[in-house]
Amino acid sequence: MSSDIVLPGQPIPIPRGPIPQVGSGVYSRDGTVRASLIGVPSYAGSTLEIKRTRPRPPAPNSVVLGSVTRLSPLQAVVSINVVDGVPLPAGEEFTGVIRVQDVRATEKDKVKIADCFRGGDVVRGLVLSLGDARSYYVTTARNDLGVIFATSEAGATMEPVSWQEMRCPKTGKIEKRKCAKPEGM
Amino acid sequence: MAQSNFDRRRINGPEESFQPTFEDDDDRETRWKPGNPRIGRGARDIRPIFLTAGLINQANGSAYIETEKTKIACAVYGPRQSKSTTYNEKGRLNVEVKFSPFSCTRRRVPIRDAEDRSVAVQIQQALVPAVRLELLPKSTIDIFITIIENDGIEGCIAAGSVAASAALADAGIEMLGLVASCSAAVVGKEIWLDPTEEEGKASSGTLILAGMPALGTITSVWQSGSMTPADGIKCMEACQERYTDIHAVIAQSLLDNAQNNT
Repeated sequence: MSSDIVLPGQPIPIPRGPIPQVGSGVYSRDGTVRASLIGVPSYAGSTLEIKRTRPRPPAPNSVVLGSVTRLSPLQAVVSINVVDGVPLPAGEEFTGVIRVQDVRATEKDKVKIADCFRGGDVVRGLVLSLGDARSYYVTTARNDLGVIFATSEAGATMEPVSWQEMRCPKTGKIEKRKCAKPEGM
Repeated sequence: MAQSNFDRRRINGPEESFQPTFEDDDDRETRWKPGNPRIGRGARDIRPIFLTAGLINQANGSAYIETEKTKIACAVYGPRQSKSTTYNEKGRLNVEVKFSPFSCTRRRVPIRDAEDRSVAVQIQQALVPAVRLELLPKSTIDIFITIIENDGIEGCIAAGSVAASAALADAGIEMLGLVASCSAAVVGKEIWLDPTEEEGKASSGTLILAGMPALGTITSVWQSGSMTPADGIKCMEACQERYTDIHAVIAQSLLDNAQNNT
């Protein structure tokens, strides 16, 4: 097994045939494909990559989980805790922003931030872009994106009842949220 | 005046401290005299290196290096979100070096000296070309280096760069290659690699070379003191030859660490 692990800067032997596309953890320089991470190179389709298990900063198109920290009529600020399923170490969260036009795909003009998120909600989102100096732009405009965990005013964990509503099991009250489609439904 | 910048947060040692002097210190026969060959090892030999990665578990990546009396611990945190308010397409590499108060023959006052910053600059310069910062927009990588014991500042810078590159690889930060570094000193007509503090004092000029042996590129050259151009080139060649061996040491310790983790 020892020969399979490559180190940064080490050339990766390529079998004869077309040169593979370089993925993450791999780069090509002067016609040689080299590793830039410690690990075992593997093929995913025609891309050669070294999988990284360490946390990484969000990039466009990565799926993130975060909790809502601040609300305003124009945007919701989330603190990103998980990037592509890899949790970030405590204290090294990134800030993301869900703007009012990125909450859902339809009826964008009728969106009210206060009817979609509340402080403390856990949200699954997709990173749109690197955003500005302070935060990443995150969108929830997809069925499987949105609030995945929320507590009601009474303090109980709520369950989604529709795309826009969640119910408190304790009091039976309905609260408005932009719910994510539960996994496996 | 001394009261105004008195450091109240730490336990303060005496204002001045000196090494104890021993009677037989000066007329010892083991002391090197000009014209004699180097004591203890060959002119082109370096001190043995002990390097382990992943010693500090709350850091993202870490390394510890020991070359005889030089002992350095290094921790890497991040990539984390940059605190600065300007948008940056590339990541930032932050290097901070700290000398422990007991690291040198003279006591180090924690805040008041500037040498740690110049060492940090040199280590940062050695590492920056190797790290793929273009993949980490808006992020900062923090490298903290603690010099526990210092035996020659040149050796410290070289060993610090080696430890930092091992720690970066351990942290899973993408790099073009591992950085190895070696120092040299011109003493009389000879070139001595990896000088100790004594030897550094006896030399007329020193040179520190850092590079990526895997790619055959040099990332940093730092020369101080006086040295003829011919000597400078000879030093660089000697360093380049030797840092391939140092690269093998880094590679071996990282491989051992990777295998223990799987």
